[in-house]
This record gives sequence, C-alpha cells and structure tokens, in this order.
Amino acid sequence: MPYYQMRCNLCIPERNKHTVIVDEDKSIIPESNAPTVPGDMTERGCAFAGARGVVGGPIVDVIHMIHAPVGCGYYTWGTRRHLGDGYNWAMPGVLENEANHRRHCYTTAMTEQDIVFGGMEKLKNALLEAFKINPGASAAIIYMTCSTALIGDDIENVAKEVSKIVGKPVFACASPGFCGVSQSKGHHEFNFQFYKWLLKYREEHPEVCLKEEEKTPYDVNLIGDYNIDWDLVTIVPLFEKIGVRVLNVFTGNSRFMNLLKLPDAKLNIVHCQRSATYIAELIRQGFDIPFIRVSLFGIEQTAKALRDTAEWFGDEKMKKRAEEVIEEETEAIRPAIEWYRERLAGKRIAIYVGAPRVWHWPKVMEELGMEVVACMTTFGHKEDYEKIVQRVKPGTLIIDNPNEFEIEEMIETCKPDLFLTGLKEKYLVRKFGVPTLNSHSYEAGPYAGFRGLVNFARDIYQALYAPVWRLAKEEF
Amino acid sequence: MINNIINTVKHIPIEGITYKQLKVEKKPLTPEYVPPPPELVPAENRSVCIDPSRTCMPLGAMWATLGVHRAIPFVQGAQGCTTYVRYTFARIFREPTLIANASFHEDAAVFGGRKNLIRGVRNLVCRYQPDLIAIVTTCSSEVIGDDIPSFLADALDVMEEEMGPEVRDLVKFVIVNTPSFAGSHVEGYNRASREFLKTLAKKTGQTTEDIYFIPGMMMPGDIKELKHIFELMDISYHILFDISDTLDCPLVGMPQSIPCYPPGGTRVEEFIRAGDAKAIFALSPDAGSAGAKWLERRYKVPAFVQTMPIGVKNTDNFIKKLAEVSGRGIPERLRWERGILLDAMADTLHYTMMKRVAICGDPDFVAGATRFVCELGMIPTYILIGTKSRTAYQTIKEVCDEYGYEPVIMNGSDQFEWEYALKHDIPDVIVGHSRCVSISKEIQVPLVRFGFPVYDRVGYQREPIVGYRGGERFLARIVNAILDYHYPDDRVHQ
Repeated sequence: MPYYQMRCNLCIPERNKHTVIVDEDKSIIPESNAPTVPGDMTERGCAFAGARGVVGGPIVDVIHMIHAPVGCGYYTWGTRRHLGDGYNWAMPGVLENEANHRRHCYTTAMTEQDIVFGGMEKLKNALLEAFKINPGASAAIIYMTCSTALIGDDIENVAKEVSKIVGKPVFACASPGFCGVSQSKGHHEFNFQFYKWLLKYREEHPEVCLKEEEKTPYDVNLIGDYNIDWDLVTIVPLFEKIGVRVLNVFTGNSRFMNLLKLPDAKLNIVHCQRSATYIAELIRQGFDIPFIRVSLFGIEQTAKALRDTAEWFGDEKMKKRAEEVIEEETEAIRPAIEWYRERLAGKRIAIYVGAPRVWHWPKVMEELGMEVVACMTTFGHKEDYEKIVQRVKPGTLIIDNPNEFEIEEMIETCKPDLFLTGLKEKYLVRKFGVPTLNSHSYEAGPYAGFRGLVNFARDIYQALYAPVWRLAKEEF
Repeated sequence: MINNIINTVKHIPIEGITYKQLKVEKKPLTPEYVPPPPELVPAENRSVCIDPSRTCMPLGAMWATLGVHRAIPFVQGAQGCTTYVRYTFARIFREPTLIANASFHEDAAVFGGRKNLIRGVRNLVCRYQPDLIAIVTTCSSEVIGDDIPSFLADALDVMEEEMGPEVRDLVKFVIVNTPSFAGSHVEGYNRASREFLKTLAKKTGQTTEDIYFIPGMMMPGDIKELKHIFELMDISYHILFDISDTLDCPLVGMPQSIPCYPPGGTRVEEFIRAGDAKAIFALSPDAGSAGAKWLERRYKVPAFVQTMPIGVKNTDNFIKKLAEVSGRGIPERLRWERGILLDAMADTLHYTMMKRVAICGDPDFVAGATRFVCELGMIPTYILIGTKSRTAYQTIKEVCDEYGYEPVIMNGSDQFEWEYALKHDIPDVIVGHSRCVSISKEIQVPLVRFGFPVYDRVGYQREPIVGYRGGERFLARIVNAILDYHYPDDRVHQ
C-alpha cells in the first residue's frame, strides 16, 4: 500500500493518492498537479493570483491593470511582500510611501452593465487614463479574470490599440481564476504569454534589445526570484562579486523595459523552478541560451549556486573568486549560525509552502541541525515531489495540496515543533500551541543567501523559544 | 543595482540583518512630480478605478457566515475567491477561518458548477458536520448562470442516499447571491443578512421579549461592547452574525477532537426563532438593514435601522430607542458611562476643537464617525464613502448641516480622488482604515485607524469604538494621534 491513509480522508478517498510516507528506496511520490477536490477546504489560490500576484506583480514600473469587478483589483494589496525600489512622486519633492507596484491598484471595476455589454471600451479608456495619471509607468500589463474571460473580452486587441496610441508596451495576460488547478497555471500562462509577446515586440522594436556594444561575456539573468522582503539584497551582490553582471531579475524589483532584454544574456540562473523554469526553457529553445538551476537558501546550496555559475563560465578567475566569496561569507555568519545551531538542534520541522521552497529548505533545516518530519506543497508538480523525497528521510509524511483538515491531522500525528507555512494556516496551527513562521512573505526577511540565513535562523529561534508556548502548556 | 549591504555589515550579529540596516534607496520613476490632468481627478470622469476603498461582494457574505456557530461558507467559484478573502481575514483578525471552495477549473467554466457544488457540499458535510452551510456565489458562477437551488436539491438527494434522510435536518443551507459586479462587500453582508433570515426564520405565534440585532461589519470588540450595554439594560438579546467569539479566540493547545470549531457564534436556532422577536435592530444601515426590513415585512417584527452608535448622540438615539422598544429604563450605569465620555471630551476639547479631519471608509462607519468628530468640535473636510450609499450620504449631510460644516462628500468614489484633495488641502488628522497609511505618511498627517480593514497595527479588533465606552476609546485614539504629531513634547502637559 504505497499511499498513506489519513483519518480525515476516509470519506473522500480521492485524496488518498495525494498523501504518502517516504519509503526506504524513495520510489513513491504523491499524485500532484491534479484537480482540487471540491469542498475539501483547500489552501490553493487561483491562476489569476499566480499571474498577477506572483509572476507579474513584482514588476515595479508598470500599471498592473486588473480587468475585473472591483474585488480582484483590491487584492492587489493581498499578495506577498514582493518589494521594489521604484517610486512615484506623491507631491513635488515627496516620494510616495510605497513602491509604484504596491502603492496603487488599477482596475476597471466592472459593473453589471459592463458585464452585459462588454468591457473592452472601458478597459481601453481605463488604460489611456492610467497612462496619463501615472507618467512614470513604462508599460502596462492587463490581467484578465473569471468574469471578463467568461464574457469574452478581447484584451489582446485592446492592448495593441492602446500601445499604438501611447507608444508604450502593453502586455495582456489571459489567466482567469478558473484556468488550471491552482496558481501554478497562472505562473505558466504568464511565462508563455509574456515570452511570445516579447518575441514579437523585440521584432517590431529592435531598439529595445541590448546593443552589441553594451553586452559583456558575463551577462546573466536571475530567473524566478521575486524579491520577497528584499531577498535580492543578499543574493545579487554575491553574483556580482564573483564577476558576473546580473542583467535582469525575472521579476523581483524589475523594470519592464529591462525585461525585454531577457534573451540578451549569456546564461539564465533559475531560482524558483516551479514558476519560472518555463521562460528559461523557452529562451533556451529560442535563443540557445542555456540555464542552470540553483537553490539560494542556506550555506551549502548558495555555495553550490556560485560554484555552478563559475563552473559554467569555466573561468578560472571566477572560480577562484567564488571560493573566496564563499569563504568570506561563511566566515561572516559562522558565529551567528553556530549560536543558533546549538539551540535549534534536534527540533522537528514541518514545511508547507508553494512548491520549490519545500525542497530548497530541508537542506537548510539540516544545516541548522533540525529534522524535517512532514513536507507539503500547494501546487507542486511531479518534479518537485521527486526532489522532495530525495532530500528527506524515510518516514517523512508528504501531502500534495493539503487542506485544512489534513493540516490539523498532520500536526496531531507528526507533532512538529515548528510549522513553516503561510499566512492563512499560521493562525490555525498557533491555536494548538504549535509555533509557526510565515514562509511566503517571511516574518522579517530577507531569508535567502548566506546572510539571509541568519535572519531565517533568528526567526525560527524566536518562534520556538518564545515563552508563550511554555506558558500555554502550564496547568492553570 | 541595489544598496550593497554586504559591504557595510562586516560581522553579522545574531540579530541578523535588521530593518534598520536594510536601507533601500527609493528611486523616482520620473525626474519630478507630474500632476495628473485635472479632468481625470474625479472618479466619475474616469473609466479606471484607482485605489478602491471597497472590495468584493462575497467577502461580506463570508464575514456574516463566520459569525454563525458551526457554519461554513461554501464559495461557488474559483479558488482565489476564497483564498484572497481568507488572507484578508487572517490579516485583520489574526485568526484562522474555515471557508470552503467549489474549486472551479476550466470544466466548471464551460459546463457550469453543478458537479462542483454537489461534490463539494457532500464532502463538506461528511468531513465537518457543520450546522449550516452558506453557499456564496461569485462573479463566475453568476456569469455562467449556475442554478444554485436546483444544484442544492440534487446535492441533498445525493447525500440522503449516502447518509440517510436525517442529513436534511442536520445541516441547514442558505444561498447568498453575491456577484461582485453588482456591489461591494458591504452589500454582500447586507444580502447575507436578508437571505439568512429569509431561509431560516419562522414564526410560532408565541411572542417573546427577545430583541434581535444585526451589527454590520463591526469588530469583535464592538460586539462585546454592545453585549455589555444589553446586559446593563437587562435585555434579552440575540446578536446575529456574532463574530465576537468566532474571530477572537484563545490559544488553547491541541484540541480534544478535530476539526475544531470555535465555541461562539449565533446559533442556527436563534435565526429560526427570529420570527417571534419583539423587535430587530440593524446597527449598520448599509450592512444589515435588508435583513431587518425583510423580517418586518414578513413577520411584522418591528425593525429599527440606526446609524452605527459611534459617539454621544448616535449612542443616545440608539439607547433611547432601545429603552423605548424594550420597555426597560436607562440604567444609572449607562448614564455614568455617558458622563465619562462627556468628561473625556471636556478634558480634551482644546486638542480637538477646530481640527480639520478627513474621513475614509465603509458607509456605516463613516456616517457614524462623522457625527462623532463634529461632536468633538472637529471640522470634517473631505469624506470618502468607499461604497456608494444614499443613506450614509444623507446622514452625513444632516450632521454637517446641523453643525454648519460643508465638507466635500465623495460618495462611492476612489481613494485616488480623495487623496488628491488631501494633498492640496492638508487636514490635521485622517480617520480611516489601514489603506490610508500611505497618504497619511506622504502628507505627514496622523492616521487614526478604524473600520474595515485595519491590519497594520495590533489590538484594534478588540478595542470598541461603539457605545459610550467605545466612544471614549475612540476619542483617546484621536487625541493621542494629534498629540503625537502636532504638539511639542514640552507643551503636552499642563
């Protein structure tokens, strides 16, 4: 019996093939990327969230136009902390309080009448007005949602029209909430549609490509990092120090016109391998630009990323630089990490995040002396689970797309000391007296890179050692 | 490309990289400020809505349902319709919420959500044994034209076959139609208030002394304050959609059994007996009056729609009406509390008098707060009613006429227009929700947080603003904000 039977699933056997216990030869993985069981209290989001909230959202200097009734637009402010440094002016001499992509929400706020008669005219006007109101925007991205997809609005046509009028690029992303089985479909849609659109735009506007004389032999793109809580601050300088030039980040703190130069790099370095390998693969096929996969969490994995990069370039000087940087960085954080390792050793961890972090992190937990007892992903695919089972011990519980009830049972049976999870689940599990950590937006990041690891360890320590848990257990 | 902290922090202490060390330089996107074309400032001249102060209709219906004991909203739509709302609730209340979803994928968009509803409701009943399921529709199910009553009938047949006929009595179902293109979260709550009563309320003919209340989207602290008032007045009360103990729960450790329902919330039985009530009060005209009025029409239960009891006069009106309807007097203790509020107002009048205040939020909150700030001698300047409301507009108009002020009232506009006005005519204080924090920082004016949503500070969901005691707390918030921002430290004490 390869699958693990959870008690809470006795009456929904469809869920059984999504729960497994890792076996000795690591041959079993759960079924994944499958339709959600309706009414199972899933934690999944929608394809719109994947396109707008995850992949498109971090682009700083564009108008993110949500073509929808007001709610989908409002949730511009409901996403994770993908920060950026491009600001508009609030008034003469005063910059706005939040970066452009997080300060404002632009939506067509479709009404009943618009739904009946179609929203294309409204969308067109909305974009033209938004460009006038926000002259700092270098482009616009239109996001389609359930309602505007169902009424059949042709957003691509509107994008073309508006682009022609304002002379700035407008990209239309059709990724309504109901498409696919999770937000993963939204990542996929954004990647594919953006790439296709970008090819055409570069062809029509060759001036946006990186000029030959501006290219260097060491140009790379960092693909699939969304600058959660300023992760880029701990990542990008590492690469710069070993001598590569980070041309682009797809899409953390990125600028739209710069993203058009994605195919002008020599190498793509892919971090989030669920939401963005697509575009790296497309660029590989279309431009013969290879990509490497990296993990940028923890000492060993970050070191490996730098070594792999240097290795790919085959440059001896760079290889030497990489070793120096690794040495220097590891030294800088050693005292802090040792301090934490002493206190975290032996703790049992359950991890539930989107997908890749669930296999990026077991190694990190090991480095901090901890043990992973359960792994769950919201939208992992087969490859994600293959990596997860390789990186954890036999006996670990794996759940694909866990729902609320399964999480409760997991806590009861696996008894983790700490649960790395998202915002919705963290308050649930805390009620049971089990500490949690927001692993989507972090508590106080950055968590990536060498120095981010200290923040990560600190937040884990804080979660585990807060006196409240002890007080909660006392007889009263 | 970014400020390189690696070169500035040589040795990393165990505190890691703190926010203080993480200085990110702000980069302007244009060389200088470019004012928006004046004709595009008013929202009514635009197709684009920039920074709405309202969100989607299903949220309001989910909010209401979460105030019912062992009730679960079942959202007939795509997964985001549930997930985004759960994020919002998690931020406001710092509490978990049980909300189920039909998980619409492409097939549902093409063939309709019949299968999803039948399967989903069945799964929910069988795993969670709820007392009530509120089927909350969304944009997609409404556009597709899902026939929810017939789907539900089919679901009941399926469940009866599997679980026996008792299932029909064990779980109650309420359908709330909430297409977001037809209104905001406020209307979602309003519709839920009507549909719950319409579906559940009965009249036995035995009249009771029970008085019913629909609070609207008040916080747990506000509802607890209402209960305090009712207990002082010795009123036999029922609060519908009572989130006070479902969205504010203690940390208890691992429960005896899972799933774990919070012990609080309005009982289904209380909805059923509503037809026998002596009276029903809606304390938020835009979020709940539909329910109260329906009960009056259907079962002749007298309905009273009151401005949210914020401040002296609004609370007075409410208490007087309640004393009259219930036949109970106004207890001495309440007069005492009223006196405390008046005392606090007298003690702080030099801080509040003639201060110019801009207000932003949901209609019921804004209407209630406008009278209160007038009572404090403050001058309302720009008032944004996030969701268009005739009632709130009228109430604000009347208050301002009474006090002789002429604020600009933006009814159902967006924050872009309201903030533009604030930048050009800077107030002394802003009273609004958490999304007003940016304008507050930009024009360097203190923000007094209230209403929906407050998520960027802690404790606000527990601190009341309604009733006399809530008024005193609200006043303290306002005055302390003014003192923090506008008074040098050596001029604060007298």
